[in-house]
Amino acid sequence: MTPMLEAKGLVRRYAMRRGLMGRSVEVRAVDGVSLSVERGRTLGLVGESGCGKSTTGRLVLGLEAPDAGSVSFQDKPMPAPGTAPWRALRSRMQMVFQDPLGALDRRLPILAQVQEPLDIHGIGEAKDRPARAIEALRAVGLRPDQAARYPHELSGGQRQRAVLARALATEPALLVCDEPISALDVSIQAQVMNLLVDQQERLGLGILFISHDLRAVRQVSHRVAVMYLGTIVEEGEPDAVLHDPAHPYAQALVSAIPHPGRSGQRIVLQGDPPNPADRPTGCAFHPRCPVATALCAREAPVLKPRRGDGRLVACHVAQGDVAPAVTQRAA
Amino acid sequence: MIRFLGSRLLRAAVTIVMVVTFAFVVLRLSGDPAQIIMGADAPPEAVEAFRAAWGLDQPVWIQYFHYFGAILQGDLGRSMRDGRDAIVLVAERIPATLALTLPALAIKVGLGIPAGITAALHRNSFIDRAVMMLAVAGFTVPSFVLGLLLVLVFAVQLGWLPSGGQDSWRHAILPIITLGIGGAAVLARFTRSAMLEVLGQPYIRTASAKGVPWRAVVWGHALPNAAIPTVTIVGFMVGSLIAGAVVVESVFSWPGVGRLLVVAVANRDLAVVQCVLLLVAMTMVTSNLIVDLLYGLLDPRLRNQPRRAAGMA
Amino acid sequence: MSDMTLPAIAEAPPRAKRALPPPMVMFGLVWLTLMLLTAVLADVISPYAYTALDLRNRLSPPAFMGGTWLHPLGTDELGRDVLARLIYSIRMSLLIAFGATIIGALIGTTLGFLAAHFRGFVEQVVLALVDFSASLPFLILALAVLAFFGNSMVLFICLLGLHAWERYARIARGLAISAGSQGYAAAVRQLGASPWRIYGRHVLPNIASTLIVSMTLAFPEIILLESGLSFLGLGVQPPATSLGSMVGYGREYLTRAPWILLSPALTIVLTTLSVSLIGDWLRDRLDPTLR
Repeated sequence: MTPMLEAKGLVRRYAMRRGLMGRSVEVRAVDGVSLSVERGRTLGLVGESGCGKSTTGRLVLGLEAPDAGSVSFQDKPMPAPGTAPWRALRSRMQMVFQDPLGALDRRLPILAQVQEPLDIHGIGEAKDRPARAIEALRAVGLRPDQAARYPHELSGGQRQRAVLARALATEPALLVCDEPISALDVSIQAQVMNLLVDQQERLGLGILFISHDLRAVRQVSHRVAVMYLGTIVEEGEPDAVLHDPAHPYAQALVSAIPHPGRSGQRIVLQGDPPNPADRPTGCAFHPRCPVATALCAREAPVLKPRRGDGRLVACHVAQGDVAPAVTQRAA
Repeated sequence: MIRFLGSRLLRAAVTIVMVVTFAFVVLRLSGDPAQIIMGADAPPEAVEAFRAAWGLDQPVWIQYFHYFGAILQGDLGRSMRDGRDAIVLVAERIPATLALTLPALAIKVGLGIPAGITAALHRNSFIDRAVMMLAVAGFTVPSFVLGLLLVLVFAVQLGWLPSGGQDSWRHAILPIITLGIGGAAVLARFTRSAMLEVLGQPYIRTASAKGVPWRAVVWGHALPNAAIPTVTIVGFMVGSLIAGAVVVESVFSWPGVGRLLVVAVANRDLAVVQCVLLLVAMTMVTSNLIVDLLYGLLDPRLRNQPRRAAGMA
Repeated sequence: MSDMTLPAIAEAPPRAKRALPPPMVMFGLVWLTLMLLTAVLADVISPYAYTALDLRNRLSPPAFMGGTWLHPLGTDELGRDVLARLIYSIRMSLLIAFGATIIGALIGTTLGFLAAHFRGFVEQVVLALVDFSASLPFLILALAVLAFFGNSMVLFICLLGLHAWERYARIARGLAISAGSQGYAAAVRQLGASPWRIYGRHVLPNIASTLIVSMTLAFPEIILLESGLSFLGLGVQPPATSLGSMVGYGREYLTRAPWILLSPALTIVLTTLSVSLIGDWLRDRLDPTLR
């Protein structure tokens, strides 16, 4: 059985101009990403900001067309953005944004906004839609009396619930959540994540959960993919990837999570944070990698199953192709 | 800096090309130039001959290039009224217009900027209110009304000054005042808000909190920063000197470029109109260029930035 | 965050002081209402037809300057009633100014939205047009068009409508792009909304207050332009009359009958003043970011 959503070899390039007369520099935000999301399952996508995870989310939803590669949803290719079939498909796939206040129209009450996808896609009788919208609000834990409020009259968590209610109003099959909790207070984060999991069970949603918060990803995901500079460097079960990462970058990420009882093991990455406009040769991570070898600077590793446990990882060292270099660090 | 200069020159050139194209397009859209110029009841052979003589029987784009070439050589056609070269007619009038507009500009700058600064420094005081009242009045009283009121008072009632014409320097006084006062009001209003904007900035508060004397804060920090937006508006005023004179020259029957333009428009003397249009565009573009360069001098941050921010990728 | 809110509260009172004193704005509102009523009810309140001649009372001064109450504001040299002409001139000038303001806002906002929606080539064309119209004084452009095309009422209103279109275009484009890059417009787009719904139901209501403020600032400028062109004899043509053409006409009689031009001149000044006051006040109230 093919997965509900399948993306193959996605590439997205942007031209960035330096100054008025400057030459344009090609920036590869996403450079050959393949992923799949299945019904009722969640794929977590982690990585630092600027690694292309949000662009991947937009490509997967078809909000932008990839420069290379393809996205297919329920066995059909993604229509071009802005076309009528593309618009019709929106009722099947929805998005939850990082900033709920920005994603809501501050001039319309919540009810009108939750009802809007029903209006757009002509779902149900016009007179029944307010009731359906209120039902959608109730499902995310908002009271009917809050339906008449405006976005600025709600708290951050309530706004994100409203955004979620709007996204789920058409009972979509796929939900892409782009940093859905990072703008919320910690106490609210757990509530929103539990809500996501509940709704997934209720509707059989496939979720792409994009976040830089490893613990949140681990809590909701069935699989996890780690992104670095436009490519997926490691993918597998959340417990495996986040407990025992194979890729040096994933190891560094995981070690940055504070743990009581574990200290002194933190891997501090050296070098500058990556600049997509100035991509290193070979493995994109090699300038910052503590175990990089000459091969890593020359040849980009591909994402393939590791011998032994079959973990997907893109690293010459982790694959055992070369022995890790021992670098001396001035520290 | 060279790149900065280059991009500004390019913009200026593009604007001039657009103005020429505008004139050409509008000229062609407005009807058959041969018919317009020869008159509706001209014999068909004469119209044909005119067409051939002016290349009007050729494809439009060839006409466009001819038109462009002619303008580059300074050939802007002849006035339909007296058959003289339009460019000569316009050039003759330029000194008269400058005789009004340059003193008026001096009034605008000399009166408007100090008034604006004073008002901003004494915010909400009597001076501030008075300046703002006058500034609003100066903005809302159209120049022809102001001019006619001045004529009514100083020429008709008091008989101190002549009401129109160009026989002596006394004839220039009322038009200069009319032109100057309106502009001074606009400039005062603008300078005041630019100053207030700057005075509200954290670095001004920091400087005065550090104990820098207020006079030094104003001269050293506030004025140079407020100068940047003010230069723009002064540049615009310089660029629109001719446009500003159109109405006032008509009120006072002053034989300048503006009066020429109004008469030419009324008579549909297209060659002259087109010539004035180009002259205005050139003045405007030149002053914009100078303003841009001054900007570069006053604010080094702007030197390498495109003024129109490109969309973020 | 909590330490950030304190200074903001402390700074609030001086901000409120900056709004124009309400009495002035009230005066503006009353005057403008009066003008609107005059324009709408011109046929009812006008004592005479504006072309009616009264050859026995030519150049009769207004009542307060020793004239008769038959012609409260006097007559011109053909004996036409100045009050009647003033009433119809107000109607004409307001009609032109409203028409032109709305045309300008429509054209500018549409082009701004088109630029924001399509980006790329369309946007470059719109921006080039914006640069072009900002690079020439509008009066000169208007004069050139009038010279080339001749004059008609429709053309004249459309021409004045082009005044300030580039301001709306800039505002609409800038705000639509920022709403579309990550804000509510992007969210609605990915709900599957058509461009009509995105721009009509979401973007337009959100930027309406900014556009309305721009309109109140452009309105007096258009009145001044119209009256200036009509004063020069290049705008509204006889027998129709506008405030500017009344002043232009009365100029010939400045020494003998100044009342012909004084009342329309005063009307122009008070109307532009009123709208400017209201506009400034609205700007402070609705949109402090606009300058």
